[in-house]
Amino acid sequence: MKIVQTRRISQAFFFTLFLWLCIVSTIGDKLWQLRNWPVNWFLQLDPLTAIGTILTTHTLYRTLAWALVTIVLTIIFGRFFCSWVCPFGSLHHFVGFLAHRKKTNAQKIKLNKYRKAQRIKYFVLVFVLAMAAFPSLAATLQTGLLDPIPLVTRSFNLVLVPIFDRAANVTSATPRFYEGAWLIFTIFLTAILLNIVFPRFYCRFICPLGALFGILGRFAIWRIGKTQSKCSNCMLCEKSCEGGCEPAQSIRIAECVLCFNCRQDCEDEVICYQSRGSLAGEITDPDISRRGFVLSVVSGVFAVGAVRFGNKLGGNWSHKVIRPPGALAEEEFLKRCIKCGQCMRICPTNVIQPGGFQGGLENLWTPVLNNRIGSSGCQLNCVACSEICPTSAIRPISLPEKLGTDEFADTGPIKIGTAFVDRNRCLAWAMDKPCIVCQENCPVSPKAIYTQEVFNTIRDGLLKVKKVSGNIVETIENNLKQDSFSTGDYFCAIKGERYKIIANSENSIETSAEEKFKEKLVAGDKIEIQIRLQKPYIDISKCIGCGVCEHECPVSGKKAIRISAEGETRSPDRKLLLKS
Amino acid sequence: MKAETGRSKRLETVVSIILLGIISIICLCIILRQSPRITQSGDVPDLLSLTPQGFTAPSITEVYNSGNLYEKINGKAPQYTESGFERLFTQRFAGDNDELIELYLYDMGNLRNAFSVYSIQKRPQTEALPNTKFGYKTSNSLYFVHGKYYIELIAYSESEKLIEAMVQIGKSLRGKLEIDQTAEIAELSLFEQENIVAGSIKLYLANTFGFEDLTETFSSRYIIDGQAVTGFLSKRTNAAEADTLAKSYSDFLIENGGSIKKAINKNIGSTVKNQSLKIFDFYDTTEIVFSTGPFVAGVHEAENQQAAEKLALLFMNKLAGMVKSK
Amino acid sequence: MTKRTQSKIDRRRFLSRSAKAAASIAAAGIVAATLYDKEGPRTGIGSDELVTLRDFSVEHRPGKIMSVVKGPDRTGAVNQALDLLGGIERFVSQGDTVAIKPNVAFASSAMLGATSNPELVAEVVRLCYARGKAKKVFVLDNPINDPASCFRWSGIGKAVSQVGGKVILPRESMFRHTSLEGGKLIRNWPIFSEPLEKVDKLIGIAVVKDHQHSRASMTMKNWYGLLGGRRNIFHQDINTIIAELAMLVKPTLVILDGIQTMITNGPTGGSLSDLKQTNTLIASCDMVAADSYGCGLLGLKPSDLPYLGKAENAGVGTTDYESLKPMLAI
Repeated sequence: MKIVQTRRISQAFFFTLFLWLCIVSTIGDKLWQLRNWPVNWFLQLDPLTAIGTILTTHTLYRTLAWALVTIVLTIIFGRFFCSWVCPFGSLHHFVGFLAHRKKTNAQKIKLNKYRKAQRIKYFVLVFVLAMAAFPSLAATLQTGLLDPIPLVTRSFNLVLVPIFDRAANVTSATPRFYEGAWLIFTIFLTAILLNIVFPRFYCRFICPLGALFGILGRFAIWRIGKTQSKCSNCMLCEKSCEGGCEPAQSIRIAECVLCFNCRQDCEDEVICYQSRGSLAGEITDPDISRRGFVLSVVSGVFAVGAVRFGNKLGGNWSHKVIRPPGALAEEEFLKRCIKCGQCMRICPTNVIQPGGFQGGLENLWTPVLNNRIGSSGCQLNCVACSEICPTSAIRPISLPEKLGTDEFADTGPIKIGTAFVDRNRCLAWAMDKPCIVCQENCPVSPKAIYTQEVFNTIRDGLLKVKKVSGNIVETIENNLKQDSFSTGDYFCAIKGERYKIIANSENSIETSAEEKFKEKLVAGDKIEIQIRLQKPYIDISKCIGCGVCEHECPVSGKKAIRISAEGETRSPDRKLLLKS
Repeated sequence: MKAETGRSKRLETVVSIILLGIISIICLCIILRQSPRITQSGDVPDLLSLTPQGFTAPSITEVYNSGNLYEKINGKAPQYTESGFERLFTQRFAGDNDELIELYLYDMGNLRNAFSVYSIQKRPQTEALPNTKFGYKTSNSLYFVHGKYYIELIAYSESEKLIEAMVQIGKSLRGKLEIDQTAEIAELSLFEQENIVAGSIKLYLANTFGFEDLTETFSSRYIIDGQAVTGFLSKRTNAAEADTLAKSYSDFLIENGGSIKKAINKNIGSTVKNQSLKIFDFYDTTEIVFSTGPFVAGVHEAENQQAAEKLALLFMNKLAGMVKSK
Repeated sequence: MTKRTQSKIDRRRFLSRSAKAAASIAAAGIVAATLYDKEGPRTGIGSDELVTLRDFSVEHRPGKIMSVVKGPDRTGAVNQALDLLGGIERFVSQGDTVAIKPNVAFASSAMLGATSNPELVAEVVRLCYARGKAKKVFVLDNPINDPASCFRWSGIGKAVSQVGGKVILPRESMFRHTSLEGGKLIRNWPIFSEPLEKVDKLIGIAVVKDHQHSRASMTMKNWYGLLGGRRNIFHQDINTIIAELAMLVKPTLVILDGIQTMITNGPTGGSLSDLKQTNTLIASCDMVAADSYGCGLLGLKPSDLPYLGKAENAGVGTTDYESLKPMLAI
């Protein structure tokens, strides 16, 4: 049995597993639903996530300890992850193979030469780790932007799976929407298409995780190399070299992804995975100069400053950045969020969306609630996002903690924002139209939205009496719209008393027969048509910011009641009320 | 050279087999690990897994506590909250054509509480539910007690498929909920089985028959000589307490317009030694109260005095036997 | 090279590499074990470590707690008031670093009396250096308006630097979170603490001002200028926050300037007609007593200011300033 075949089986297995875990990230207990599938396993195995969060938080969150397995195996065996496990790598591998399979051997050998630009990935790595490493300058975790595991997780979870599932709806009850998915897709597609230029373009030139493995594998005990310094020099070993590591000459260990194609292709059978170094010589260190290293660190440090210049953590924070319940205080949150999109995937209502630039560059693809998307705000009895978050940027909370019941009765519910009524847009406030949809839908108990009843005289609602018979008033005006006042919300005000209108014709108004007019009406008396309105108010001490009201508000363009992040529990400095 | 190649080929196979073995182990571990979780969020029972074949769960499990129970069941809430209610979990299951089944799972804290809310709400003329101690079904719904849980399953149509699925949910729910198997309600065995209307025992935790102090009281219906009569009994901690309660209940009856009347059956007074036996005329019905040992018992609002006295005698004999055997 | 030496070299390389690999694994393991966090973050709220402000007060001398000097001359009055308490030497020792917290809340001219008087602040700075032999004197405040403008237009910046004091303008990094033990409002709240961590003494210099919200702003209200964050939320419960500030800050000394009092339109004023010549200057180790005396200049009784009672109940000082037998100089 050939090792290359084994590698293909391994790639197929891990890719299928990855895809499967993407599919099962759906709340439920069916075999193809969440159950206890280890849906975060790839993210947990990713040492870049572990090292990045260690640099920002100085702790290793328990589940991220899986990364130690990858690190130890890499130290012993080299960059095996890229060619044996990484789902993104396997995808590149396959696409690269398809794109170049018809080329001649000579062309392929040329294609797979080492290129100076392969050092770029080390600069990317040093750059993002430098951003994470300087706490005095405000550390920020941006590894997730280019780290292949969060990148591929995000791309599958938020774009590819929902596209394929559009018709069947296996992974969600209704079709999913993700704002800004086009950008995620564009980056994914670009990375895939670049394989047409060079096979494994992303892995060779960009991937910071590959770079990390290259560094970790420096002392690998076993490595690819030649068993003799001399061979027929046919160069066929470089024909399918995935890493571009030049095994025919002095092999570049940091670039070798252990695809074993060289061993397969060597007709002299001089290439072997062995404990002694290649007899043709080897270059163990990554091709990164001291100057390049320093430059990357300095750029990273300056970049943190530049990113934070918007003062988005200070006075210029964005009220539109509404984080899921359980999210840590913003600064701590940004130290942990790897933008993997798991919370957006699991959210049963689809309300958690990949963030854009509203909270600055750091906000990109972090979870932000958008109540205009999804089936219904943030569900009261759901803590799915906090349970799935692989790095505890959204820390695990229990339902009692979220709702402020049981042992959390003292601390009260977790607020993620506060609803504000836009009185210029609200039907009841601005348009004299009865509507209490927000109040009806408020899930908090007692309701955070309450109403106050007012009666407003409608436009052209001042009428003159022509004749009265029982509860029917005939008016001099004869341009009323037939039965337009019979909805139950209209009243007829007669000398300080109000009577509910039950019907009207063009020139008459009929009120409920149960109530006789208290004052006698004669021809020429004035009456008013009034509408009863229930104007919504927010009790900000009760509102938790779940967004159900915003979702339901019938003013559909710019909602007349909107959630703003003020008052969120995680930011005491931004609270609205001294005491709730 | 050739030998070496051969050896390395063998080695390659061996290594490959080891690696495939590792992959298989990983695969196996993942499959073993993925078994459904017991709880989804906090300690909410996993009701989604009850979804019958061909059905879907259109929403997640809803949870209500005593603070917001009225949102779900409105005016019925006090009945539960005053009987030790802890939480209500509800789950909808949808079949074809949006046919719905709704499950109400009330956690009442203990079996007595669960039995109380079950028994008081029990609809008359229903069919007993097999395999349950306390349970019945109507044409579209199931009601039963399982340990500390009181369960209602309601199908929103009478289609055969829906009812079948509903029964299935009830069955798997019983298998799923962990309960204290040893819990039982001792008083149930105190009721004379002769002439009893099956399944008519009710437990009032407080305020029985409008009398505040009459707590933890069981009632049951009997058919005596073709007449429906309701008997009741309540166990107190000792005889003195039972005696006091019987007296205060008598006082309560008189205060509210009852008057003492003579017994038709002369023997009734001598059956129990206790002097607390009293027979009342209560707005043209007969009310009997007595105590024996730690028990307070009697007959409530009987139309026919003769039948009432017969039932009282039955109770006396049964309870006296209980007192003696102890 | 013979085959043998080659294999020897290979062997040595292999061993050294294995050793390095083992060391790397061990290092990774140790780092992981050391930083391993089983619990994860427990609360969603920022995990800054809380600071506590030091107690800057000096030894208690009965009978020498508060002094009141009458007259229109500020520099003379402050010298006299301090001398009555035992001189600046009692409060500032040789080599001390001193922080002075005047009221620099607004970018308005000293003439309008909304801010501490620059000559008075400068005189205290001078005294700290000349007689107290202080090593360094800082002057700091976290004003409501832009800090640099406030120090400039109030004249305090210039006056202080002329006598060698150093103005510290607030920066975000200088604020740390603190909680007042037993406090309701000051919970995990940012406070202008970094400069105070490196000083030995703290002197507050406040003006007597009418205040729309709390009725009177004096030495206790002056500590509002140490709060960071969106502190105006505390206006929802102004009396409690003033009392809590008095509990939080334990100064060496406070100086209350009532030579002129802003009797209307406080705390900003804006017109000279808002000011009244009241010719009083108080130096005190007891803030509550100083403010209780000072409120009389506004025609108020201590019982009109709930925060005084709250602070008194918390043991900060006494509203019965007569009991301290304040030394008067007229």
